[in-house]
Amino acid sequence: MSAVLAILWKDLVSEWRSRDRIVAMLLFSLLVVVVFHFALPVRPGGGPPEGLPGLLWVAYVFAAILGLNRAFAVELENEALSGLALVPCDRGFVFLGKATASFLLILLAQLATALAFALAFDAPLGRVAGPLAGIAALGAAGLASVGTLFAAIAVRTRYREVMLPLLLLPLLVPLLLGAVRATAELLASGRVPSDAIQLLLVTDAVFLIVSFVGFEYVLDE
Amino acid sequence: MTPPAVAVRGLEKRFGPVLALRGVDLEAREASLLAVVGPNGAGKSTLLRCLAGLALPSAGSIEIAGERAERGRLRAKVGLVAHATFLYGELSVRENLVFAARLHGVADPRRRAEALLAEDALEDWAGRRAATLSRGLAQRAALARARVHDPPILLLDEPFTGLDPRSAERLAARLRELRERGRTILLVSHDLARAAELADHAVVLQRGRVVGQASAAPLDLARLAEAAADA
Repeated sequence: MSAVLAILWKDLVSEWRSRDRIVAMLLFSLLVVVVFHFALPVRPGGGPPEGLPGLLWVAYVFAAILGLNRAFAVELENEALSGLALVPCDRGFVFLGKATASFLLILLAQLATALAFALAFDAPLGRVAGPLAGIAALGAAGLASVGTLFAAIAVRTRYREVMLPLLLLPLLVPLLLGAVRATAELLASGRVPSDAIQLLLVTDAVFLIVSFVGFEYVLDE
Repeated sequence: MTPPAVAVRGLEKRFGPVLALRGVDLEAREASLLAVVGPNGAGKSTLLRCLAGLALPSAGSIEIAGERAERGRLRAKVGLVAHATFLYGELSVRENLVFAARLHGVADPRRRAEALLAEDALEDWAGRRAATLSRGLAQRAALARARVHDPPILLLDEPFTGLDPRSAERLAARLRELRERGRTILLVSHDLARAAELADHAVVLQRGRVVGQASAAPLDLARLAEAAADA
């Protein structure tokens, strides 16, 4: 457990000092909102555009990928990744530390993105803020877990910036299905569909277990 | 008879079609300094990374104090100073040491970090971010980082590269001191003169094979050079 907390502390302190991940994620989210704002047709009766939940999750996912790509870039400096691979405990704990830090940063980016969407599209996100935060957190957990595993794989490849989305996006389909459906239902009726939440929970659990176990081999040379 | 601190038997490491290590056998006794010398591409760094538990050998075994060591045990028993320092540029030297100590589950990470800062004469730079250190100071910090869990075996990969003569001399003195304190040191180098000066025993590696040996300190530089040349 001390390894998990150490890595979480290290990632958050490094991020606080450099701010390179969170600034990139927030700027990207804001740009997406601006682009959607001008690209989408104005509805005759006013109100948010159709497909808002899908757009929201597109912004969430791409902002997260941007952050995840940077999560291991810092480990390349001075070959620090090899230093992490030398931990005497199960390397799954290294994964947990890195994934938890990414989870917190993704949550922060999601919060800012949701606020920007609410302001730009006059979307009534505030009245469902609690359940929406829960859905976003479940999505962020899945994104952070499988994203951390694949970011660690991609970082050692030649085209790492391209490799991560190529590896990750196909795997995110079940997570996105659950998250977009749950968000759409929440915004339309104010209730959270249990089947979509179940899908999110199962996907998160599978991603978490596979990533924890697989990380031992990912750090091998 | 006391078993050697490190014993490598028939070690092979394959990277796809390339066989980087071809049945390497070597031993290092406790509180000694073994130099592994050879030209670029001989497999020296690969050997060290197998010994550190960073790379999985394709065949053969590694024994620590007479017991076959699996990778988790290897990682607990060795400290590695590689080409790179493993330091995080955004963290101070002290924070890097505390972080590494926590990572290795050291009981009192802050105390251990302070002890290492004192031992390696790094107190004046403890609060400086690692990114701003000179090569000599970074190497000193890397050696301290490798020792946070007080490993009995130290692995050093070309540690003198890029150091000015004063820093190199300081590092050499530090290695002698660590050996006297009972640490077993494996030093990879292509600098025969430095290896001859420091080591009790040396092996020459070429194309993944041990092709020559020299023992009985002080090593005869001419004989070591001869062994390397014959290879």
